Amino acid sequence: MVQIKINGQEIIAEEGISVLKAANIAGFTIPSLCYNEELGHFTSCMLCLVKDNANGRLFPSCSVKATEGMSITTEDEEIREARQTGLELLLSEHVGDCQGPCQVACPAHMDIPGMNRLIASGKFEEALRLVKQDIALPSVLGRICPAPCEGACHRRTVDSSVSICLLKRFVGDENDIHPFEPHPLNGKRVAIIGAGPAGLSAAYYLQIKGYQVILYDRENKPGGLLRTNIDPELLPASILDREINSILSTGILFKGETEINKSLFQQIVNQYDAVVIATGAIVDELRSWGFQTNPKGIEAKHNSYETSLKGVFAIGNTLRFSRMAVRSVGQGKEVAWSVQQYLAGEEPTGEPKLFNSRFGRLFQKEISDYLKESANSLRDNSIDIISNGYTREEAILEANRCLHCDCRDMDNCKLRDLSGKYDANQRRYAGNVRKVMTKHFANSIVFEPLKCIKCGICVRMTSKYQEKFGFSYIGRGFDVQIGVPFNESVESGLAETAELVAKACPTGALSVKN
Amino acid sequence: MIDLNKIDLLISEKGSSKTALIPILQAIQREYNYLPEEALRRVSETTAIKPAEIIGVASFYSQFRLAAVGEHIVRVCVGTACHVKGAGLVYDSLRRAFNLKEGQNTDLARKYTIEKVSCLGCCTLAPVVQIDNVTYGHVTSDKAAEIIKDFESIKDSKGKKRFRKADGSEIQGEIRIGLGSCCVASGSSDIKDAVEQTINQTGLHVNLKSVGCVGMCHQVPLVEIVPAKGEPTLYSKVKPEDIKQIVASHFQPAGRFSRLKNKFLNAMENIQTDQQWKGIERYELNVREKHVSSFLGKQFPIATEHRGQINPLDLEEYQQHGGFLALKKVFSEFTPDQVIDKIKTSGIRGRGGAGFPTGIKWELVAKQAGEVKYLICNGDEGDPGAFMDRMLLESYPYRVIEGMIIGAYAVNSPEGYFYIRAEYPLAVSRIRAALQICRNNNLIGNNILGSGFNFDVKVYEGAGAFVCGEETALIQSIEGNRGFPHLRPPFPAVKGLFGLPTLVNNTETFAQISFIMRDTVDRFTRIGTEKSKGTKVFALAGKVARGGLIEVPMGMTIRQIVDEIGGGIANGRKFKAVQIGGPSGGCIPANLEDTPIDYESLTSLGAMMGSGGLIVLDDTDCMVDIARFFLSFTQEESCGKCTFCRVGTKRMLDIMDNLVKGKGQQGDLEKLEKLAEWTKKGSLCGLGRTAPNPILSTLKYFRDEYEAHLNGICPTGKCTELVNYSIIDNCIGCTLCVTRCPVAAIPFLPHEKHVINTDLCIKCDACRQVCPVDAVVVK
Repeated sequence: MVQIKINGQEIIAEEGISVLKAANIAGFTIPSLCYNEELGHFTSCMLCLVKDNANGRLFPSCSVKATEGMSITTEDEEIREARQTGLELLLSEHVGDCQGPCQVACPAHMDIPGMNRLIASGKFEEALRLVKQDIALPSVLGRICPAPCEGACHRRTVDSSVSICLLKRFVGDENDIHPFEPHPLNGKRVAIIGAGPAGLSAAYYLQIKGYQVILYDRENKPGGLLRTNIDPELLPASILDREINSILSTGILFKGETEINKSLFQQIVNQYDAVVIATGAIVDELRSWGFQTNPKGIEAKHNSYETSLKGVFAIGNTLRFSRMAVRSVGQGKEVAWSVQQYLAGEEPTGEPKLFNSRFGRLFQKEISDYLKESANSLRDNSIDIISNGYTREEAILEANRCLHCDCRDMDNCKLRDLSGKYDANQRRYAGNVRKVMTKHFANSIVFEPLKCIKCGICVRMTSKYQEKFGFSYIGRGFDVQIGVPFNESVESGLAETAELVAKACPTGALSVKN
Repeated sequence: MIDLNKIDLLISEKGSSKTALIPILQAIQREYNYLPEEALRRVSETTAIKPAEIIGVASFYSQFRLAAVGEHIVRVCVGTACHVKGAGLVYDSLRRAFNLKEGQNTDLARKYTIEKVSCLGCCTLAPVVQIDNVTYGHVTSDKAAEIIKDFESIKDSKGKKRFRKADGSEIQGEIRIGLGSCCVASGSSDIKDAVEQTINQTGLHVNLKSVGCVGMCHQVPLVEIVPAKGEPTLYSKVKPEDIKQIVASHFQPAGRFSRLKNKFLNAMENIQTDQQWKGIERYELNVREKHVSSFLGKQFPIATEHRGQINPLDLEEYQQHGGFLALKKVFSEFTPDQVIDKIKTSGIRGRGGAGFPTGIKWELVAKQAGEVKYLICNGDEGDPGAFMDRMLLESYPYRVIEGMIIGAYAVNSPEGYFYIRAEYPLAVSRIRAALQICRNNNLIGNNILGSGFNFDVKVYEGAGAFVCGEETALIQSIEGNRGFPHLRPPFPAVKGLFGLPTLVNNTETFAQISFIMRDTVDRFTRIGTEKSKGTKVFALAGKVARGGLIEVPMGMTIRQIVDEIGGGIANGRKFKAVQIGGPSGGCIPANLEDTPIDYESLTSLGAMMGSGGLIVLDDTDCMVDIARFFLSFTQEESCGKCTFCRVGTKRMLDIMDNLVKGKGQQGDLEKLEKLAEWTKKGSLCGLGRTAPNPILSTLKYFRDEYEAHLNGICPTGKCTELVNYSIIDNCIGCTLCVTRCPVAAIPFLPHEKHVINTDLCIKCDACRQVCPVDAVVVK
């Protein structure tokens, strides 16, 4: 046994174990991408750098044994910068999208590729469940959304974008049921003022989480601008009513024809546990209620939507006028996070923002590999918003055009997690030349070499498990690649170990297909 | 189809364990000029070595080619000295001559394959191009076609003449010919043939003697005439056709001797000025000098003791000059611990660059328990501007071996390795021969000189990876792996080759051991500075008048080396900076020329002793370009294992590439500094940790040049993308430039002032080089 000091804490560690392990046992997490419990250390990623307090130098903790009297720091400003820089360097050559560009572009960050895949496999109910996680009004938005997602779609480089908006409408129209069972009521009550798209969305996500929502509006029917400012030919009242009813059916108490003034507002604030302002652009009025405002609207914090009044949040056109209903709908979802955090006694931070790797535009050379996972058919432009939308068959056909550019491992990617944790900027050290991506499909896995960070886990693992060909480093330095010797296929390289290796891969370079 | 029996035979010769992998691949490549996949598959089928290991290794080392190549290999040296003298332009011009498209390295007829090599070790002949075994020195970008033509004319007419000895009954004197790589590259073997011929024809009784490197590589080939009576005379830059006259002038009846000699020298002066050298300059002929006392006088040879006097492989001669006395003394007077004490007292530090105290390293290895320990002589000299190790191995093999035996005795190691770069074939063959002679003379093997001590040595040829100079990577390489370094500790002294304690020392370190042990340690400690004892060998090259290999006491100033030994800057230009330590080192500006050179002073200035490359730069050299050059070298040589080195060096290079193209952006220098800082702090091994030094030191001393590049200006006009070629009024309309221009950018207008069409101009520099009146200017 040896006695060491980690972050000032005296620790007794087993003789011969690494500093990384000793720290982990003592409850201090040190990040690493290349370390693998089964294979041991390799000293490649260098994210496990820690500080030797004796001389102030950084060293990779995975490869240094804990020795008597050692004193180390596992996290400080300098170490954070080291890890951030290391991650930024890895990201500079990590070519791939985490979320698809459509999802990143969507103001509500809806999981569009996921929806497409569910539609493509005929799982329409599941598709609605997925859509409703981010968008409370798919049938409505499926008719009026300007669809920034389609502008970002990689399929545009091939021919034209996937018809995402219509697919979303299809999902909303196709199902008549409400997909989620609301949580039992938790006793907390939230008032939402304004039943436009923002207020409806916020009400929906809070109500299904078990908060009793009281939704105020001066009109007798909820809908706000959706009801008054949109051509009924585009958005028929029946569609709007149907979707609003589905939202209200979760247990929301709607109080229409209630004009809120300053004194009523005060009452509401005192009466409820939290308040969300979604009244639309009535800035002068709101100022008189005591909010800090700017010329565009109420002042609210960027991610949490907290206003200057404690326990009062503001979303939608209350902040700034926008014609994009999807933005308001997205904010409704996000503010639900803040309200819940606030009511749990936490600092409201809003919906967690995850790191997203981006690579920009597809190269022509990359199209053929991207088409391997999609139908090589053209978008049917004869179906537009005024028409009746997709039949099931048409929807499946269109959804199959999706290229699956979102990463299979995005929810299980150490690189992504750490890049978020250390606030890494992928563009900071962007190189002059971007390499050409390829995708290799083999049995149950997908291999995308440009997502590889050269940690060597697959090389070491295929060697350990006695693969005939296995994976090898090919070349050296910056141009080193991971591949199968003698140009054998990925299948023969990973004949025995495909899933094992894919699971051990710390990024999406090797991932299990489904 | 390849003959698999041949492959099987190779494997049976080299063995089938993983340690045999690199030798097997080298043998296959010798056979086929590349590594055919069929052959590699055969290796994996008939040995225990896995395909992944074979490809991993074959693709790691730059010596190996995985694709078929042309009949002849054209190697363009892009080492530091060649770089500063325009190797890039030479490379481009050869590519044009072979009509190669981007990404192509072999011409359509599959006759020639062009490669860049990091250093051929002939820095004083820069720029150097090697086609198969023929070396062309002082190549300029307008000579590409001529080189190829010359090679075509001689490639089939190569037949080695056999050496025949003069009978030696009445020796009138001795003729010494340098046989270091520089000399050989510059044509000394032709000289040797000419001397033999002359001796045979005239029946003179003189000894012909091959000697190791004299260090005066700027004057090669060298011939020294040592008459039995009288002063020796050294001739430099000799041509074969001069030999007859030189020999005749020295070995004639005494009365006519001096008169003739004078006459001869006068005649030679005339030849030099009057006779146009029509062929390709396979070597240069200009100034002739006699003794170059200022070059040699300031030096202090320890590792290079008796330079130019002893035949590298003549064991008797080495012993006559005190060779193996140290070893005998060690065996008869000292215990291993006492040897280590003496080495510690001497204060000698590792000559490989980092300067770790040698005695302490030895002590650490000696302390380890266990029967088997290894000793490795690190001769993997990869610095693109250094050739000290090569010269020591070629010229003083016994001295290095003696140092190794003493080291082995001190740490009790029964088995040693020479790890020598494969790019040094001469060094490899000399060492192999020297080891055999030692074995025959009981200097290695069992019970050496009756001492009861056993020690034998194997030779291991590296395969082209700078990182293998790093000791943990070197060990990986001997074990048959990719040269991936690992973190120290554990140090090789504790856990090295095959997991056993291993002493790794640089060639130059071993070459200094016998001097320390032969007499009193005092004799060594008197030389040098307080913390850096003894001497250091440097490869002096670049813009200095007299380049070569020099050995100087530690503490000598930069000025003394450049001015007194190097004879100042060539062509009357101004001294700007000296780059010390190669890719790990840095640039020290002229205003710090009074800095005494030792480990600490160099480090404090942002440079490093490194391997001992010392490149002198003049006012025409662009510091951004120099920094980019070194960085591109380390970036290329990065093994790719750790993030900071693999990607950090690349991203720094991206910024440098933009700067030299005028595409720099505000904030680039700060970004560069950040990347440099983290590559230094975060890299796994010495390669990455020192790779930013050339950038940081030039940023420190020449930041104004970086800023100028940010504004699209290269103050020295070196960065081709930032300059234009034009012709000024003193053009005489001779059309020489017109005929040389490879892209017809200069219209044919005889007797008129020529004009360069800058849209067509590719900035190959050919016009400027041929212009007889310096009318082509670069701005």
